Amino acid sequence: MRTITIKLPEYRGVPVEAERISPDVLAGLSIREISEVEVWQGNRRLKLSDIFLISGDPDPDRPENTRIVVEGDLSKIKRLGEGMSTGVVEIIGNAGMHAGNSMRGGVLQIKGNADDWLGREMRGGRIVVEGDAGNYAGAGYRGERCGMRGGEIIIKGNAGAFLGEHLCGGTIEVVGDAGDFPGCANQGGVIRIHGHAHLPGAEMVKGSITAGSARVLPSFAYEGTVELGGLTYKKYVGDLVENGKGELYVASDQIGK
Amino acid sequence: MIIKGGIVYDPANGIFGEEMDICIENGRIVEDAGGEVIDASGLLVMPGGVDAHSHIAGPKMNTGRIMRPDDSRIGTEPRTRVCRPSTGYTVPNCYAIGYRYARLGYTTAFEAATPIIEARHTHEELEEIPIIDKGALTLFGSNWTVMECVRDNDLGKLAAYVAWGLRAARGYGIKIVNPGGGEAWGFGSNVKGVHDPVPHFDVTPAQIIRALAEVNERLRLPHSIHLHFNNLGRPGNYTTAIETLELLKDIKPSRMRQVVHVAHMQFSAYGGTGWKDFESKASAIADYFNQTNHATMDLGQIIFGPATTMTADAPLEYANARIGHQKWSNHDIELEESSGVVPWVYMRKMPVNAVQWAIGLELALLTNDPWKVVMTTDHPNGGPFVNYPEIIALLMSREKREEEMKTLHEVVRSRSTLPSIERELDWSEIVIMTRAAPARILGLEDKGHLGTGADADVSIYNIKPDEIDPSKDHAKVKVGMSRAKYTIKGGAVVVRDGEIVAAPQGRTYWVDAAVPESDMDRMLLDLKEKFERYYSIRMSNYMVQDAYISNPFVVRAGVQPLREVI
Ligand SMILES: [Zn+2]
Repeated sequence: MRTITIKLPEYRGVPVEAERISPDVLAGLSIREISEVEVWQGNRRLKLSDIFLISGDPDPDRPENTRIVVEGDLSKIKRLGEGMSTGVVEIIGNAGMHAGNSMRGGVLQIKGNADDWLGREMRGGRIVVEGDAGNYAGAGYRGERCGMRGGEIIIKGNAGAFLGEHLCGGTIEVVGDAGDFPGCANQGGVIRIHGHAHLPGAEMVKGSITAGSARVLPSFAYEGTVELGGLTYKKYVGDLVENGKGELYVASDQIGK
Repeated sequence: MIIKGGIVYDPANGIFGEEMDICIENGRIVEDAGGEVIDASGLLVMPGGVDAHSHIAGPKMNTGRIMRPDDSRIGTEPRTRVCRPSTGYTVPNCYAIGYRYARLGYTTAFEAATPIIEARHTHEELEEIPIIDKGALTLFGSNWTVMECVRDNDLGKLAAYVAWGLRAARGYGIKIVNPGGGEAWGFGSNVKGVHDPVPHFDVTPAQIIRALAEVNERLRLPHSIHLHFNNLGRPGNYTTAIETLELLKDIKPSRMRQVVHVAHMQFSAYGGTGWKDFESKASAIADYFNQTNHATMDLGQIIFGPATTMTADAPLEYANARIGHQKWSNHDIELEESSGVVPWVYMRKMPVNAVQWAIGLELALLTNDPWKVVMTTDHPNGGPFVNYPEIIALLMSREKREEEMKTLHEVVRSRSTLPSIERELDWSEIVIMTRAAPARILGLEDKGHLGTGADADVSIYNIKPDEIDPSKDHAKVKVGMSRAKYTIKGGAVVVRDGEIVAAPQGRTYWVDAAVPESDMDRMLLDLKEKFERYYSIRMSNYMVQDAYISNPFVVRAGVQPLREVI
């Protein structure tokens, strides 16, 4: 597998639009050509090598055989892995906003924290975040009727507000807690939150949300307890405000935190 | 400037595909000219396009933009040396509207619905739309003063109010939307037919429509009344359409044009008793148009994919929002109207949408006289205007229609007559429906044709009419019509090879109509009281001032001198 390493030295500038850091775009280019790839820094058009140090296997390969390692504090580097369909992007550090948005396949690994809009509107592939994710992970962008439609997001830390808003498919797993309104307007995706969820599933129509504990909205109907994977959960259906048939499971011993 | 060697279509002047040169000087078509030579050898040349019904400016457009950031993301184009950035697809920003019309070869577009109280906003946006000439029709159909004058059968006063309203709004003509319904909606109801009285006003839609049509002719306005029927968008509404048109049969036009222009006819050509047995009644409507001569229509063709519906028909928008489970906006416009905005998606496999798609095409193909038909999508209600080339290709090619129908829900075959229609429009008919007819219908004497003295608005396409057969080469027609090789606006080249090369400011048309002072005085006495008692703003803050229109073109009209007209 070809490895391309993109290192960010200390960075103090305005945010950079780095949507071209993706196997689909870079795999077929030599290291020299990659250095020339255009990125926008605010309203300035720069070359990738104006900001990053680029090294790695020199010869082009197919995207599915390509692994891009991005190192440094990338919290101001936006749209890493945007729309990628295959291959691997490994981020060693924090990722900026919109990482992995519109992804269709491949793997995006983030060793640090991810900022807002992680994997928004993704359709396939897998995102793993070792740290926390910001707001709107797996959500739809402003005004959209569909967020994530497929694929998988795993957040090993906590997630911010509006996790999986307008989720239309796919799976999101959060090992820690989720902020306000996870799975709001869920249209058919699956969210599993191991920790606490605050007001999950508002305006949800379909799909399911599981939470370790939750503050449940009054517009959900309680349907009794069910056994899932050896644990007992309280089952709710809603959101009744939307005539919703969404399922909400809350581990029964931790309700009402 | 001389445009040399083009194959010219100028049906208004009896020119149907002749090789000839076009000369331009000082923004006008002239007999002879020197200067720049544009080589159009063998290429399709026609007058600049005229859109007689489009929603391009005003608060409802902005509401659409605000509620649809998802739409702004589609169609973003960066700025260039000449152009500002573009955004949006169904609700583009102001700049994009001008550039996109120009790239299609269109040089004029009229905003179809502005309440007087919101006209200032409309003009602020029209000012920001580059290149094209424009104007805005003014809403009168659910207006308190209008309904009171109709109730009192005082057409002199009504004429004074319309003239004043057009001046206050810097408007171009009388738009009527679901007459009476906008007011009824304020009380949570609607009018269900032309003889259903408007609550609290003791008038019917039929009376409103007739009175405004009579006043339109009394004022000799360049355009006729422009009418969005009651019951629009509802199954079985074609009977309302015909019943309404029958009301206007005996009214004498004051100019050489129709007495009524029907807005987006497609939305009012529905049969069936509900959505389950919904079917096309386009053939009944077309028959009516073929047998009468007082009405014209624009299509309101739907385009599959996203749209944004926006109309002064607020109860319709409420119903849309419920059916489509969509976000929605509804707006009460004081003493004048109500309105709404709802995003929409037309889907190929949705039976109703498939039939709607067929209806627009049926109307264009079954109406014998192309001068009665304007090609529109009621942008962005049926879909964005950038899709006009798709409609042109469909109207010119039965083969393309067959290909499209294969991708649609099968009811398109049983609930419309489209599969059996063989007619394929030729270039002259396309030029009539997109240029000559809309200009004549709007009363724009210097547009829609290339005769001496006409505005030098010309479009030239990378299509060789002598070499291609639109019936077979429909893909080439669509591509060619999508990006004009040249668009010339007022004698200046604004598009070259499909790209904007200049973005001059276009003109804004409005109508200044004279009425007898006595009528104006007694009307104003009443109106001032309305401002004191009901309006949220004062009359002095209400009028659109001259400063809002940097490049006006004022059309004079008005009550004729007292002597008898022969
Ligand atoms: Zn309209």
